[in-house]
Amino acid sequence: MRRRRWPLLTLLAFGYAFLYVPILLLIIYSFNESRLVTVWTGFSTKWYGELLRNRQLLDAAWLSVRIAAVNATLAVVLGTLAANALVRHRNFRGRTGFELLLTAPLVMPDVIIGLSLLLLFVAMQQTIGWPGGRGFTTITIAHVTFSMAYVAVVVRARLSQMDRSLEEAAMDLGARPLRVYLTITLPLIAPALFSGWLLAFTLSLDDLVIASFVAGPGSTTLPMVIYSSVRMGVSPQINALATIIVAVVTLAVVIAGILMRRGREVR
Amino acid sequence: MATLAERRSLEPWQDPKAVPYLRIDRVTKKFGDVYAVDDVSLEIFQGEFFSLLGSSGCGKSTLLRMLAGLEYPSAGRIYIDGVDVTDVPAYSRPVNMMFQSYALFPHMSVEQNVEFGLKQDRMPRRERGERVGEMLDLLKITELRKRRPDQLSGGQRQRVALARSLAKHPKLLLLDEPLGALDKRLRENTQFELVNLQERLGITFVTVTHDQEEAMTMSTRIAVMDAGQIMQVDTPTAIYEFPTCRLVAEFIGSINLFEGKVVATEGNQVLVETRVGRPMRMRAFHPMVLGTPVTVAVRPEKMRLCADFRDDGVNQLKGRVEDIAYLGDVSIYRIRVGDGALVEMTLTNVQPRTEQALTWEQEVAIEWSPTSGVVLTE
Repeated sequence: MRRRRWPLLTLLAFGYAFLYVPILLLIIYSFNESRLVTVWTGFSTKWYGELLRNRQLLDAAWLSVRIAAVNATLAVVLGTLAANALVRHRNFRGRTGFELLLTAPLVMPDVIIGLSLLLLFVAMQQTIGWPGGRGFTTITIAHVTFSMAYVAVVVRARLSQMDRSLEEAAMDLGARPLRVYLTITLPLIAPALFSGWLLAFTLSLDDLVIASFVAGPGSTTLPMVIYSSVRMGVSPQINALATIIVAVVTLAVVIAGILMRRGREVR
Repeated sequence: MATLAERRSLEPWQDPKAVPYLRIDRVTKKFGDVYAVDDVSLEIFQGEFFSLLGSSGCGKSTLLRMLAGLEYPSAGRIYIDGVDVTDVPAYSRPVNMMFQSYALFPHMSVEQNVEFGLKQDRMPRRERGERVGEMLDLLKITELRKRRPDQLSGGQRQRVALARSLAKHPKLLLLDEPLGALDKRLRENTQFELVNLQERLGITFVTVTHDQEEAMTMSTRIAVMDAGQIMQVDTPTAIYEFPTCRLVAEFIGSINLFEGKVVATEGNQVLVETRVGRPMRMRAFHPMVLGTPVTVAVRPEKMRLCADFRDDGVNQLKGRVEDIAYLGDVSIYRIRVGDGALVEMTLTNVQPRTEQALTWEQEVAIEWSPTSGVVLTE
């Protein structure tokens, strides 16, 4: 007897619906003519036009993207170094402590991270005069502190799966340690670095709580703007902006997928 | 493959004036409190096919890794071609290694894998291309040059790994279980090919293996290792026929061991009294003191059926056939003798199985000659 497939398919459909219907609704309502987000009156692209004239929202979006990109890059560098230390040096002094401290931000409430960093920045400003004021720099530093932990977890998993004899073979064939790392290790963990970067980028773009603590006047990130405007009633411009972000992210993921597949075939 | 006689004529280890190519001088490696390699000294000569044989965890792989420079000894020195390389890192040693897992770089093609070592030496592009072509040719894998390792079979990977480790023309090649991952048939073919290759290129090979058959067929000499120490170093024939201790005797092939003590010496022969019956007269290579506890070791194929069993005969035993293992070419008989010990005897199946005389529960007498076994003192 053939197994009935509809129960499984239904479950799958529900799963996808749960994940993507809200986003779909958001996209549909971005083309709504009405000023009210929840009432459909007709098709229009006027909110996109208004969005392009809304300097405050655009500035915030640009700031967020810049912070996210710088954060992701720094987090990948630091997180990879930390993962290396944990995987490659099995017993250095204080290894357990290092591991604990590295992963602590994963479970630490954002409120605490935000508050403690704010206190630190204030104290530093008073004693050494840096950072002078809060804004791009402080938000980026704050984001790196927690997103590098996520990167470290991702890279560590990949590194510990890697066959050590590959590096030994390269060394045996005459490659010095730095060359081994650049020609063998890095290419092999590249997928993990890439997903780590994307993860860190998303985490930063997403963050409201920590950024609220360490941001200064004149440095408002996108989530902060959206959050404060929601309290006064959402403008459909937000929908338009979100639709653009979704489109950009989808495009990026598709391009990355194509590049990776092509890279595999060429080799 | 050179015949045994040809090999005999070039046995540098018997020539006191020969200079070893590789000298391991009292090398010890400790991991924490554990001695992985314990005070090992070895001299290996140019052109040898030398095997380190032992069960897993005996320290053979650690010793090999120290030769490659992937581990550093806790004590002792290693000399290659007269130069002390003990503290030289792996990337500066004139040695290449073939890894057990083959360790092919998964993100590079076969060609790029073979080329990798040459690139590290900054060999000009043109010369590099020629050398890669030569290596792919040598191992008959030219048509695979553009493939990636995950598109290769086990045997093909083994060839690529070999090509890569030979590409830099090393004087000394280390092989870690070179045939371990291949199936039996492929293994047998590759054994001969490996020996041919080694003799053609004149490179010194040091291999690590746990497979005694592999070591026996390929090696000029074998070092049997146990618990980080070397038990015996000798030619395959000598290791098999004249083991110097019980451990080596039992590790290679199967063997019958009879414990006893020396009761008389007659010229170069000793009379040994054992628990299984009448005395055994065996050839001894060293003078032995009366009363020394010894073990008489006789291999199953050296046993034969005894036509005239005499009550005062030596090297004769009577028993009952308990088990027969039919292997096609030979059969192994397990015979329960006098005091309840089991003795193994191998007979070639000259006649078809069905017409053989020996059967279960049959009373048999067996014997062997004084020169077909050894007397072990430890």
